[in-house]
Amino acid sequence: MNYLLSLVCSLCLFVGASTSQILANSLVMPNDDAPKIEYVKYTLDNGLKVILHKDSSTPIVAVSVLYHVGSKNEDPDRTGFAHFFEHLMFEGSKNIERGQMDKMIAAAGGTYNANTSNDRTFYYEILPSNQLKLGLWIESERMLHAIVDTLGVETQRAVVKEEKRLRVDNQPYGSILEETLKRAYTKHPYRWAPIGSMEHLDAASFEDFTRFYETFYVPNNATLSIAGDIDIEETKKMIDGYFTEIPRGTVEIPRPTIKEPKQTEEVRDIVYDNIQLPAVIQAYKMPPQGTHDAYAFEVLSTLLTGGASARMQKQLVDQDQKAVAVAAIPLSLEDGGLFINYGIANMGIEAEDLEAGMDAVIKTVQNELIPEKEFQKVMNQIEASFVSTNSRIASIAESLANYEVYYGDAELINTVIDKYRKVTREDLKRVASEYLIPQNRVVLYYLPKSAQPESSESQGDE
Amino acid sequence: MNLLKNIALTVALVVFSSAAFAQSFDRSKAPEAGPAPKINIGDANTFTLKNGLKVYVVENRKLPTLSVSLSLFRDPIFEGDKAGYLSMFGQVMQAGTKNMSKEELDEAVDFIGANLSAGATGMYGYSLTRHQDKLMDLMTDVLYNPLFPEEELEKATKQQISGIASAKEDPEAISGKIVDALLYGDDHPYGEQVTEETATNVSIDDIKAYYNTYYKPNIASLVLVGNIDVKEAKKLAKKYFDKWEKGTVPTMSYEDPAPTAITGVALMNRESSVQSVINITHTIPLTTGDEDQITVSVLNNILGGSSSSRLFRNLREDKGYTYGAYSNISAQRLVGSFSASASVRNAVTDSAVTEFMNELTAIRTEDVTDEEINNAKASLTGSFARSLESPQTVANFALNIDRYDLPKDYYATYLQKLDNVSKADVKTAANAYIHPDKANIVVVGNAKEIASGLAQFGEIQYFDADGNPTDAPKAAESADLSAEDVFANYVNAVGGEEVVKANKDIKMVGTATVQERPIELVMVYGEPKQFSMVMNMMGMTMSEQTVNGDNFSSVAQGQTIPLRDVDKQQLTREAYFVPELFMEEIGGEAEVLGIEVVDGKRAYVVKITDSAGAYTNYYDAETFLKIRKVSTTETPQGDMTQTITYGNWQDFDGLMIPTLMIQDLGPIKLDITFNVVELNSGAVSVFD
Repeated sequence: MNYLLSLVCSLCLFVGASTSQILANSLVMPNDDAPKIEYVKYTLDNGLKVILHKDSSTPIVAVSVLYHVGSKNEDPDRTGFAHFFEHLMFEGSKNIERGQMDKMIAAAGGTYNANTSNDRTFYYEILPSNQLKLGLWIESERMLHAIVDTLGVETQRAVVKEEKRLRVDNQPYGSILEETLKRAYTKHPYRWAPIGSMEHLDAASFEDFTRFYETFYVPNNATLSIAGDIDIEETKKMIDGYFTEIPRGTVEIPRPTIKEPKQTEEVRDIVYDNIQLPAVIQAYKMPPQGTHDAYAFEVLSTLLTGGASARMQKQLVDQDQKAVAVAAIPLSLEDGGLFINYGIANMGIEAEDLEAGMDAVIKTVQNELIPEKEFQKVMNQIEASFVSTNSRIASIAESLANYEVYYGDAELINTVIDKYRKVTREDLKRVASEYLIPQNRVVLYYLPKSAQPESSESQGDE
Repeated sequence: MNLLKNIALTVALVVFSSAAFAQSFDRSKAPEAGPAPKINIGDANTFTLKNGLKVYVVENRKLPTLSVSLSLFRDPIFEGDKAGYLSMFGQVMQAGTKNMSKEELDEAVDFIGANLSAGATGMYGYSLTRHQDKLMDLMTDVLYNPLFPEEELEKATKQQISGIASAKEDPEAISGKIVDALLYGDDHPYGEQVTEETATNVSIDDIKAYYNTYYKPNIASLVLVGNIDVKEAKKLAKKYFDKWEKGTVPTMSYEDPAPTAITGVALMNRESSVQSVINITHTIPLTTGDEDQITVSVLNNILGGSSSSRLFRNLREDKGYTYGAYSNISAQRLVGSFSASASVRNAVTDSAVTEFMNELTAIRTEDVTDEEINNAKASLTGSFARSLESPQTVANFALNIDRYDLPKDYYATYLQKLDNVSKADVKTAANAYIHPDKANIVVVGNAKEIASGLAQFGEIQYFDADGNPTDAPKAAESADLSAEDVFANYVNAVGGEEVVKANKDIKMVGTATVQERPIELVMVYGEPKQFSMVMNMMGMTMSEQTVNGDNFSSVAQGQTIPLRDVDKQQLTREAYFVPELFMEEIGGEAEVLGIEVVDGKRAYVVKITDSAGAYTNYYDAETFLKIRKVSTTETPQGDMTQTITYGNWQDFDGLMIPTLMIQDLGPIKLDITFNVVELNSGAVSVFD
């Protein structure tokens, strides 16, 4: 049971958006109790945005940089590039030898990671507070003059291929994100997943790297967000020392303007996979993140699968026992993401049966306003979550950066709750009726290979 | 590094630099750290109720929340033919109380935006301060008055069975089952498996019996973390838990599972695998609270505990085999375990295992470097400091001190103890807890592609997806040729019978490195059954083996080795440049087992059994050149498997000769490159 829940939860990783972004979006409720996050924000002459939050309760500091580039900025013939680049950016710089970056951080008592989504790439280190300079130096080196050599490129190519094999090819249900995106989007770059294709990774050349780096890894496309045990004035001086010399980028930053044409017909398909239990995925087109309706979807998600008493949990897992696990997750994206209903069928249950159950629950929201008490419950859940969301400096740094980059408003870390407050019961009924309709969705059945008819070809990785 | 390579690399380098501006900070080197900040560990207050419930309080006013964690400290339980009741227990306990149905309970918890869960080892609740009284009401209602409805057990059983079915497709889950079976066995609490049968055996009485036996305050701890002080905590604890009645709780003890005697390979054939899930593992006598734990954490950090570790750097950053390679040395209540693992693409499965074994051996035989141990300590210090961001950590410290009888100042002096760990300590721990010669190499992957490469590491035992031993898979592709056909094709591929027979004077000189020392191998072939192999190291002859007709001799470091019949037969197999032409003379029965994939190529598998045992040759299905030979020899020390891989075939006047031979003898691997090949040079005078 735990095992299957973790499969469902891992969809949160599949969707590519950072976990804390999902949390941040779903947590905000206006609440006197939640601690207010104070911060300082300014912009350097070269366009680098800086956000500083002081929290001295533990002697540690999170140093992070968000580059506003993700898989949607990629060339369709070079998919997987933004994520591949994230790996390359650890290979070293003019002053940091290959293999030394992570060693230095560990030797300083720190930890680090990075992630790439459809919309952005995010790097962070968490260090003892007396090592702030090290974090700043590393991030500035990366931004100013990262170095990439043949050895590094070849190694990371192999590593990224192994990552894909691990997460997608060798993993039951691992290909869900890929298979969903490519059917949900026909024109927009969201049609490919951040991990990209192996063939494109093989074809990537040095010219590709140069162009990508010079275009996107520039201060005017970056936000430096620091949270932890810092002295604001001292930190500003250090940032000046390491970042002001980095010149602004000269290439115009391409942001795709392609509008995905409105979907007019349901798309249905079957993927045969190395699994035993069928899974049903319904992916509905959502409006862009930050819109009122997008927040309505966040609330809808809590209503449907936000707890043991949530509608889908109660009906499908508990009462009907059609599913062992079920989730309704908004994949929030800048240009409009997907609202994904995902269920793993219980033994002996057919995919059709599970889908019928999922549709029936959606119908209940479409047909009737949810009762006042239930609405209050959902809002209470969201409020309580929000209070805990800003408890770690790493996630505070990330939230500040996300809000600033996506909405131009870092203050949302404190006020986004107002957006949730504005969602009404009528909104929930309306967005369910407007968006959760067959013409607006992709439905995938994941079936065991044993169910595959002899003549048809199995869907595998490309 | 030679000049040409240097130039090529420079050309390939892409340096993204920019116009230099005046710098106020010298970025040419890493900045200095500031003065080390003080690490404040903080305190947990504790008190005990009359019924034995131990309460721990960590006050942290940052958030207006309270977390309430109730945990039972008992011996591990062997579930036996009802395996599964422990994992299903929580779901059934939470399914309503005598006062509220499950639906009402779930609703009430969600309504206050709280979390509440129950399990076999305790309960957990979390809510905003303003809802904490309601949380406590609900939590203790579940604690004292659980309903245990039978239909919830039925639901849980069904889900459990679904989970078991799903796990059969997951390579990591399969690996876990095999590891449990091999390390602990199925009559040990750590090793027993939950099956459809055992899960179905569980009755509601079993669930209730567990609750009645183990949910007692005298083995429980209550941890309160958050917006609460000791005074408030005492009030809360007394109000809600004073009424909990204590009772006797059984204790259990178990025999230690038998340690692994010798390294072997456990292989589960998963045909759809594009990666092999590798886990090299064995039990260790390390239990929770052991004073070795700090040293062990340093050892593990260096070996495979981070992205700067030896395993990670070797298998990911250096070789690109995997997304991540790690090790784990864990202490557990009854017995601990060592594990080194990675998921690697099929083609490099054997190479990855070789690298693992090299690292596991190296860390035992040599001291770690100053840099490594200092970095490990710095990393663990940082990790300790970061863990203090969560107020829960301090509570865990207090719990551990009580449960595992640690000295009261264990965590207060942790950083000091960490600093005191020496390189000698690390080496001692490596030798105590890492045993590559007595390990289980558990691999879940595509046997067709990886099995032949794994044979060199030990005897292969096959397992199914449930973790039960099973037979080796039959070669899926049956061969269309007989052994004689394959041999004949090989002879043609290397030049043809005439050319082979015409060459009666072949000398090959090869070089290799053994433990960083260069060695030279000189092989001479004369008439059929005339063969000499001499190994030289630093000008000294280390070994000499000669076959001349019916005369056999083997000399090692000046000492003549007495040869048994099996040894002579083994030498006979070597005594022909192209043995496939002389199989009748050499003796034995040959059989084509089928076609397998070796190093990404389809190959005919031919097994030959003679008086010295069996060996298997692999011939490329397209070219018929020999790819590999695997042979097992009985020695007084046990079975020894040797694998020879042939490559870099080159044409010498019509005769095809492999100028690369990789000999794998387990701990020793020789990459031999033959730079000198001379035909008709008079080298055969050595046989006079």
